[in-house]
Amino acid sequence: MIGRLLHRLMTSFLVLVGVLWIGFMMLQVLPADPAAVIAGPTGTEAEIEAIRRHLGLDQPLAFQFWLYLQRVAVGDLGRSVINNASVAAELLRAAVPTLELMLASMAWAVPSGLLLGAFAATRRGGLMDRAVMALSVAGVSVPVFWVGLLMIQFAAATRFFPIQGRGGPLWTAEGLSHIILPATALGLILIGPTARMTRTALADTLSADYVRTARAKGASELRVVADHAMRTAWLPIVTLLGLQVGTLMGGAVVTETIFSWPGVGRLAVGAIVSSDYPLAQGAILFLATAFIVVNIVVDLLYGVLDPRVRRSA
Amino acid sequence: MRKSPLSLSLCLGLALGAAAGLAPAAGSAADGGTITLGRSSDGDRYDPHRSSALAAAEVLYMVGDTLVTLGYDLQTLHPGLAKSWELSDDGLTYTFHLRDDVTYCDGRKFTAKDVVGTMDRWLKPDAPNVSTWKAGNVDSITAADDFTVVYKLQEPNSALLYQMAQFNFVMIDPEQAEALGEDFGVTAFNGTGPYCFESWQPRESVVLRRHEGYTWGPEFMSNQGPAKAETVIWKIVPEEATLAASITAGEVDASYSVPSWSLAQFEADPTTALLRPEASFRTHYLGMKITRPNMQDRKVREAVSLAIDQSAIADAIFFGTAEPATAYYSQKALDYNPEIDQSPFGYDPERAAALLAEAGWAKGADGVLEKGGEKLTLTLYGFNNSSSREAAEAVQSDLRKIGVDLALELYDNTAIWGKLREQTYDLYQMDYPYLNAGDALNLYFLSANVPSPNRMMWEDPTTDKLIEDGNKATNGDARHAAYAEAGKVVHDALLWKPLVNESLVVVAGARLKPFQPHGISGAGFNNGLTLELK
Repeated sequence: MIGRLLHRLMTSFLVLVGVLWIGFMMLQVLPADPAAVIAGPTGTEAEIEAIRRHLGLDQPLAFQFWLYLQRVAVGDLGRSVINNASVAAELLRAAVPTLELMLASMAWAVPSGLLLGAFAATRRGGLMDRAVMALSVAGVSVPVFWVGLLMIQFAAATRFFPIQGRGGPLWTAEGLSHIILPATALGLILIGPTARMTRTALADTLSADYVRTARAKGASELRVVADHAMRTAWLPIVTLLGLQVGTLMGGAVVTETIFSWPGVGRLAVGAIVSSDYPLAQGAILFLATAFIVVNIVVDLLYGVLDPRVRRSA
Repeated sequence: MRKSPLSLSLCLGLALGAAAGLAPAAGSAADGGTITLGRSSDGDRYDPHRSSALAAAEVLYMVGDTLVTLGYDLQTLHPGLAKSWELSDDGLTYTFHLRDDVTYCDGRKFTAKDVVGTMDRWLKPDAPNVSTWKAGNVDSITAADDFTVVYKLQEPNSALLYQMAQFNFVMIDPEQAEALGEDFGVTAFNGTGPYCFESWQPRESVVLRRHEGYTWGPEFMSNQGPAKAETVIWKIVPEEATLAASITAGEVDASYSVPSWSLAQFEADPTTALLRPEASFRTHYLGMKITRPNMQDRKVREAVSLAIDQSAIADAIFFGTAEPATAYYSQKALDYNPEIDQSPFGYDPERAAALLAEAGWAKGADGVLEKGGEKLTLTLYGFNNSSSREAAEAVQSDLRKIGVDLALELYDNTAIWGKLREQTYDLYQMDYPYLNAGDALNLYFLSANVPSPNRMMWEDPTTDKLIEDGNKATNGDARHAAYAEAGKVVHDALLWKPLVNESLVVVAGARLKPFQPHGISGAGFNNGLTLELK
């Protein structure tokens, strides 16, 4: 188990260096010049040159990357070239809202997806099964920005919920009322895949011999599904959920923009749009790290869920 | 189980919302309350010397003052921090007499030393500062006594006083700028304005508090201070549809960043008011790069201009919030020349076709014009946002009708400035704010500004001479004569196709008293002295 973990950490480290390099190069090949952006439409050549020198953008590319790596190695993500804010501090401040948003959307979407999937699996081929599957296909296909905009129109007309921003601490009534719309919009992405995967995995196990045995010994249907069949079905579902975290982060970028949620997605987009290299790099690094961490957690969960994995290691 | 999870959570939220009593949180009108202003993008930093962004101007006008102010017509000069000023006969020396009752937010007295310190910081050679040309060719700026500033130029500058009303001339606290270094205008800004800079969370909000004891607002405003509102919050709402909905829902009190399509809806809503400034200048135009092979011929340029129907663009893309333009700058701008021949800037596709035929272009088999085996194919660089894209597409289809093949290349806001410094396009699309004709002429048409911002590559000694004469004029008549003539020369040369004059429209929500917006720099709330809750 520990060996597995170490191996995963090693490969993750290499992946991170790769992410840094690709992120750095991608920002370089963009035909964007932060100095020209700062100088604005009326900026003169001399002004732009002075700003470039001030930002260190006149140094050779490889040298800039080397300097960056050195700083990252000691945990210094640098400062924004636009407003001199510490990148690490900005990321930390944005991380909490993003985490809140993702957890809040998973908190309702994962149980709903599981229930819908289990419901469909036990009525396979029936009308309800088809209805649930149609719903989940719709959930996957409807773009999150469209749902978000519809919700905003609804909220503006009824004034039931605040439309934009994040309010108070999450556990207060104000905090909850602010997170409901974005979390609902974002969670819709997750329901479809979760329901479909649960249905497929559960349908396979429900016809297995041990389930028949469980039924034969007189266990209730609930116990058969939740206890016996679900145990085996968990593995593919957890794998899928781990992968879906990436999709969720992508959705969070859009959701955060629509609902003015001050998270990492908005930070990354804002940094890229204003050519704020250190901040954009930091945000890319952060999102990549989060994704890797989730994958390691999924790996560890395999061990918990499947005794075979524990033993083989 | 039949109930969809969406409706379930909505019901849950409904109950929560009801419990929390979600009325817009705000103080009572007695203490001035909180006014929330919405906008779609944040400033890079709130430093008048290092930002050229409108978003920075919006806040800087509220937290700081300028020596000179401009009235609502953007033509009349009024006192600001300087109560009066004189100009020497040679037009080189301005003497400003400052008010003696002005204090910064931290309580320190504002004196002539601060003006000198502010200007020294801005004009320091080789610093990463922007827009320094606005200050003119400065010889020296000195403090004669505590409340007298002597501003000496190397050559006369007739535009200086008008430029001094702009946000780049907001007086800072030079000691604070020195102490904070790179964090100046980020973590703090100590100004003399009607509001004090309290905090800034980038991409989220700027919070401003009323400057108690502020009494030195411009005389032409209905309120000289202190400000009516206790707190002003500049809130960033990146998605424009959300911003529009926030005004309806009462979460944002006013904004001029709402999309054009939503204005009709606000006009119909009895609780919201649409407010327009007396003058505000922003013109959308197509620039023509006259060094490109096909654009060297004035006839081709005139044909391109006549083929484009800017009225259709104004109606269909700006929903009537912009008027079609037939000159490079507004007719309401100071030093506009009414004798400019505007006929080449109208819409006349037949005359456009005739001009191209005169120039030797004939239609080929595919309907595209040809001359000597070469097709008339042009490239346009434009901005990749919805209104610019739609305008560019309209231009493309108009040109197609007279047989010109136009390739569109649209770039994001960050990428386009670099692309526009290339020499690989024939037309470019842009919009620009300006103060008056002299401002526009100096920016775009001087040969010294080739290749950027003079992207047309217009190098003409006559234009240079006339603009210089206008700049150096020591009286209003001479200035007007020179700028008016320069305007005629550049219009006759056909360097741009003016598209529309866009006007600022403030949408004020139900809680706000109607007020007079100000058009300077496009920052409609100006110093915020007239903002008041009902």
